Amino acid sequence: MTMDRIVEAYIGEYASGKSENAVNRALTLAKQGREVTLVDLDLVEPVYTLRPLISLLEEKGVHVIAWKTKETLGLGEAGSVLHPAMRWALKAPGDVILDIGYGAKGSAVLNLLEGIEDEENLRVFLVVNTLRPMTDSVEKIIEYLYETGPAHGLIANTHLGEKTTVSLMEAGLDMVKKVSAETGLPVVAMAVDERFRSDFPEERNDGIPLRFLHRYLPKGFW
Amino acid sequence: MAVELTNVAPAMPACWRKETKTHKFCPGCGHGIVLKALGEAIDELGIQDRVIFTVDIGCCLLAIDFFNVDTVQTHHGRTNAVCTGIKRATPDKICIAYMGDGGGYAIGSQHLVNAAARNEKITSILVNNTNYGMTGGQMAPTTLPGQKTETSPYGRSVEQQGEPTHGPEMIAAMAGEGAYVARGTVAKPKVLKKYFKKALQAQMDGSGFAFVEALSTCPTNWATNAKKTWAFLEGPMAEEYPTGEFKVPGEGGKAE
Amino acid sequence: MATKPIEKDTNVFVTGNEVVAWAALAADAQIMYGYPITPQNEIMHYWTRLAPKYERRFLQTEDELSAGFTTCGGVMTGTRAFTATAGPGTILMQEPITMAEMMRIPLVVVVQQRGGPSTATVIYSQQEVNLCCYGGNGEGFRVVYSTAGHQDLYDYTIKAFNTAWKYQIPTIVLGDGYQAKMREAVTMYDPASRGIEMEPTKAFVGAEGCPGVDREPRFYRNTYNTEEELLDVVGDLKAHYDSFKDEVVEYEDSDIDDAEIIVVGHGVVSRACKEAVKALRQAGYKVGYFRPITLRPFPQKQLAAAAEGKKAILAVESALGQMKRLITDGLYGMTVPIEEYFKPGKGVSSQELVEKVKSMLD
Repeated sequence: MTMDRIVEAYIGEYASGKSENAVNRALTLAKQGREVTLVDLDLVEPVYTLRPLISLLEEKGVHVIAWKTKETLGLGEAGSVLHPAMRWALKAPGDVILDIGYGAKGSAVLNLLEGIEDEENLRVFLVVNTLRPMTDSVEKIIEYLYETGPAHGLIANTHLGEKTTVSLMEAGLDMVKKVSAETGLPVVAMAVDERFRSDFPEERNDGIPLRFLHRYLPKGFW
Repeated sequence: MAVELTNVAPAMPACWRKETKTHKFCPGCGHGIVLKALGEAIDELGIQDRVIFTVDIGCCLLAIDFFNVDTVQTHHGRTNAVCTGIKRATPDKICIAYMGDGGGYAIGSQHLVNAAARNEKITSILVNNTNYGMTGGQMAPTTLPGQKTETSPYGRSVEQQGEPTHGPEMIAAMAGEGAYVARGTVAKPKVLKKYFKKALQAQMDGSGFAFVEALSTCPTNWATNAKKTWAFLEGPMAEEYPTGEFKVPGEGGKAE
Repeated sequence: MATKPIEKDTNVFVTGNEVVAWAALAADAQIMYGYPITPQNEIMHYWTRLAPKYERRFLQTEDELSAGFTTCGGVMTGTRAFTATAGPGTILMQEPITMAEMMRIPLVVVVQQRGGPSTATVIYSQQEVNLCCYGGNGEGFRVVYSTAGHQDLYDYTIKAFNTAWKYQIPTIVLGDGYQAKMREAVTMYDPASRGIEMEPTKAFVGAEGCPGVDREPRFYRNTYNTEEELLDVVGDLKAHYDSFKDEVVEYEDSDIDDAEIIVVGHGVVSRACKEAVKALRQAGYKVGYFRPITLRPFPQKQLAAAAEGKKAILAVESALGQMKRLITDGLYGMTVPIEEYFKPGKGVSSQELVEKVKSMLD
């Protein structure tokens, strides 16, 4: 394994923005000319998935491991099925971005990946939208982290869909920073819908990197 | 001087509702004996004010107003489910489900089996009279091999219909620790009452699911006189269905 | 008692199923009984995550028959209880719903429609209208609220408990797989902050006192002897239903007065209808919008008034005419033609409706 290989797993509460962050991260890396494999490990909830986005992502240079619609049957009814390629995803060359679905077992889903114990580059990031009811306070986020984790870092992803404002996003970041202070986990990035690009400086005073998100997942419904 | 027989008060359990007696069951039907044993058990445990009774469709629905206790009649087979819903919402009540063999072992078998699997804290009583009485004497899960009914006019064929269902044996095999499972018979009402008391006690103690099958009589559909009725109950039925306790909280199982 | 689940207005980003779980908590529901079926599962997932935090309870049953009948049992103790289901589960749920109709049990059922017939898809449809309004061996003595999005799911889940208990009538919140899974912002609130008082519940069984000693016992049955007896019973149920149906009937409309065509849709489809009418109005077309919110009772008088003298009605639904049948029945005797735009199991966009209406008018 090369040292600069990036292996990131995006975990978090249901509808917290894991998939959107994972997709955007994979595309960013691909744009940098890196070899990237994006893995759809949402085993509980195959609603918003990468399945409908496969061809779009592959055109943009991301290799996708996800069920294709014609390969599955019944979707939700038979959705919790591990694609054999997912088990061997870490054997893919280059970077691997893992989109982990929500569920009571949290990041334990990673156990399904062959070689995960020996993957030195693995970084697990908790995606937090503080406007999600189960993660709307420092205490609840830490409780959630305790149930879902472990994680290496936090991604602040507070938004309210079409009703998002900059102040809501900043308030969310402040809460995530408090979680960071209490847990020692770094804030890896602040995710921001790209329509707010002009509202943010190139570099933030607090040094938190910004990740501007293009919304792909609305096209990923079912 | 002749005694006026009508002035002699019959020995009825205190929780029986006198306004609804005489009851609506056929002459010679075993339900009356089962419900007397149950009434005495309720009296002796002093729980009339806490009991909620639920009755199935079939002859057992005639017990709708049998006791001075709140009673709900539901659909065929769904009594264990309704009883479970009541108990889950109000755990301090003593909830009794009352059904026949068709309701418990056929159309509602999933509810019986899963109530047992969850060790639901209810008392489920099933009356086994080897046929569907109210619908006109059709074959039931409990109909004996060779027994003639309206839907087994040449006698129940084991090859076609399988062996009779042995409920308590099945429930005892699957119910969790603390469950109580027994089979009694209207031929031995005092023993039956003892089983009911223990089945209710198990619920009162919160120890587990309690299930009692009562072997009963159906002279109307069996087309038997008193002597033949009793002979069938104590003969072929008793041979097919051993009575006794199959599971007792803290004791494991033992048959008579 | 734990603190109220929602103390003050809270803007959150959620899925529809979560909204239902939160609304039931806010409505002070004490217990949910349920069986897994897509696409309603997250109602249970979130209820089971939240319930212990607010001293509420959950029972996972063996099937939807049991889910419905255990809910009936729970409700009869005077406990605010509910269940949720979809598709084939809604079929099984008809049996307990009919018991609730007959015995006037305030049963609350949330239905997230999926494709049919049979197992079909888990995704979306509007094909459970027949079942929800008139399923079972009876006369449809239920209230059915068809929601169009997350705020509706929140508002009408709370309202369903009140309608059910106020009128002692089984009440269904009819959503669909799209609403169940979509992510939207919603404002969750404490009902009391909106002046909504939760209807008090009433114990059918297990009231204070020893039956037969301190009070009369209560016997509840759904079995009757004779045709005459049943005629009376069903007559009473009808009289009861008729006595409140005008109070609970709900609808939404716009741009009716000068309209030549009225676009009618319910549930999530009504959103496309509304957008289409807005776009068509901007383009100068005389088009109106009508959305029945209660499918049962159906806003028959209101729709008839809106349809009076119009060139046509366009019935739009993700089914082959299940809503249209309610319209046809409601408009009996009127000559206004009813055109169809049916896509069973598939969503409808405002753009396609704009094209459809233009083709009718141009």
